[in-house]
Amino acid sequence: MSETLAVGAPEAPQRPPRPTGRPSKRLRLARLRDLALVPPIIALLIYGYTLKPDVFLTKSYLVDTVLKYQTELALVVLAEALVLIVGKFDLSLESVVGIAPAVAVFLVVGQTSMLGAPWPTWTVLPVALAFGALIGVFNGLLVVRFKLSAFIVTLAMLIALRGLQLAIVGGATISNLANRIPTIDNLGSLRILTVPLSIWIVVVAFAVGVVVLGYTRFGRSIYAVGGNADAARAAGIRVERVIWVTFIVAGALAALAGLMLSARLGSVAANQGNGMIFTVFAAAVIGGISLDGGKGSLVGALTGVVLLGLIQNVLTLAQVKPDQIQAVNGLVILVALVLARLTSGKAQD
Amino acid sequence: MTIGVTARGVLGLSMAVALVASAAACSKDSAEPAAGGGGTGSVGVDLPRADSDFWNAYASYITPKAGEVGVELTAQTNSQNDIQKVISNVDSLVTQGAKALVIAPQDTGAIGPKLDELAQKKIPVVSVDTRPDNGSVYMVVRADNRAYGTKACEFLGEKLGGRGKVIEFQGALSSINGRDRSEAFKECMTTKFPGITVFEEPTEWEGSKAQAALETRLSTDPDIKGVYMQAGGVFLDPTLQVLKQRKLLVPPTDPRHIFIVSNDGIPQELDAIRKGEIDATVSQPADAYAQYGLYWARQAMEGVTPKEGPTDHGSSVIKLPNGYEDQLPAPLITKDNVDDPALWGNKK
Repeated sequence: MSETLAVGAPEAPQRPPRPTGRPSKRLRLARLRDLALVPPIIALLIYGYTLKPDVFLTKSYLVDTVLKYQTELALVVLAEALVLIVGKFDLSLESVVGIAPAVAVFLVVGQTSMLGAPWPTWTVLPVALAFGALIGVFNGLLVVRFKLSAFIVTLAMLIALRGLQLAIVGGATISNLANRIPTIDNLGSLRILTVPLSIWIVVVAFAVGVVVLGYTRFGRSIYAVGGNADAARAAGIRVERVIWVTFIVAGALAALAGLMLSARLGSVAANQGNGMIFTVFAAAVIGGISLDGGKGSLVGALTGVVLLGLIQNVLTLAQVKPDQIQAVNGLVILVALVLARLTSGKAQD
Repeated sequence: MTIGVTARGVLGLSMAVALVASAAACSKDSAEPAAGGGGTGSVGVDLPRADSDFWNAYASYITPKAGEVGVELTAQTNSQNDIQKVISNVDSLVTQGAKALVIAPQDTGAIGPKLDELAQKKIPVVSVDTRPDNGSVYMVVRADNRAYGTKACEFLGEKLGGRGKVIEFQGALSSINGRDRSEAFKECMTTKFPGITVFEEPTEWEGSKAQAALETRLSTDPDIKGVYMQAGGVFLDPTLQVLKQRKLLVPPTDPRHIFIVSNDGIPQELDAIRKGEIDATVSQPADAYAQYGLYWARQAMEGVTPKEGPTDHGSSVIKLPNGYEDQLPAPLITKDNVDDPALWGNKK
């Protein structure tokens, strides 16, 4: 198993330095894989333009109707990409998207006196992030300390957290938040340089992610652990701690995504985030993140998100019949994958 | 070789899914009714889901209405929108001694065989909100979902003067109620208001999808003048957020006003009507669903055969091939009658 992974993970740094010439070539290949989805994205942009030439390629359209709606997905994909690169799974992220804002908002406006509620409205953001991180701690505990399978642990957590959320809010949608919680109102409607705050958050999060993964010791060790945990351990990397920290960061990111979603919708629906994990995996894997760990780039994952968002939007524009839209959606994703494969010329794994 | 590992991951996923599915399927084995479980004639209630405002309101009415109607409750279960769970919950309720059942199967096709099995055991079933496609039921208690679509269409059509563009947030097409509303709305629009363009947006009852669709349509067709949302609980806040950000939440007298008609009649919608944010909703009577679901369960246990025609509670009973249906009224609520104390959304 470890051999397999080592072979399939050229970026794992436990390899001895190569002779000259190889690294730059490898770099080129890696970059190419990042951009494999650019051709299908361009194809979709062209198609969208033919549908609505007057508005489609304007900045306000692309920002406000395409990108703004992918910001939460992008953050969760970032979280999942980190966990996948370190060689684990986290399915519970979709439930964190629901429960973290639910808990934070509930403590502020819920009909309860639990834990000294109602809490002041500014606590929404820190409480949500802390709660998400806490779930990461718990996932990490079970996976790292008790050596349970991450897949099964987080599958159970997905169900448990969803149930816990229903129990806390009594199955109700917590509504009318924008008027009651300034943080939520700002997250949902504040604009900086005419671009929504949520998009800036995604840009910053990915930029930080790219820098950390590419240029820091911790980031490189995430790839190393995902590529070959034993080799990483032998090289002196504290494998358990790296995995644990990744789970915590992922939980906090998913919580932030959840709060942004609630801000956009002005409410916390009881089923918020339900079923989202499939799209998250789709975006990450289409974007070149390997399910085997140790491989993939965040830029690639981001193109995966943009691709899925564009497909969704163009299907709405094209007025595909409601009963056919899901089938068409799946088909377009397949075509996009083939197109990416043809243009990048690189076998996908 | 890497592919091998990936395939193993996929295999693991599918195995986990299969495991869950088979665990649910196992519970299909029918249970024998327990002898004298819960005293004389108690009613078992299965709730369809725990994550919607409407059904939570319904759930909250069950216990008080049982007291009013004078029936004893065996237990309440929740099937979380899963037909397999309905079936296993029904078995469990029967085992616990239920002599009649009040259920709300959201998958109207799959419940049939279970209904026939229950009929053989002489356990009458009242189906609330949905009409099972087959399998015998004692009584179906529901408001006419087609009427929701028609009323919404007529309201929008009149307000728009028969011209313009409207956007419709459809529920899940796999749900009979969503389908009924969509079909009736479309039928009414094409026959009565052919001058109105309808954008049908599938949403799977997700506010996020509805919001994205609304934003897209408002960008390409800024002259949209009407919104029909098939459920208030999930679509209300997301819709209002978009309109607020686009500064389109203006009074009906303003020419830029977008007319919004909703379905459900939950308290939040009534508040929004009072504030002038939305214009109308069709009230789906959660209290009456609970009350008459239990009422008919009691009638069934007393051996009463339902009669066709108008009832004493303002509805009418019709004969179905597989039972009877009590069609409850679902009033259109606008600013004029929003404060009516008889509306369930105004109670509590």
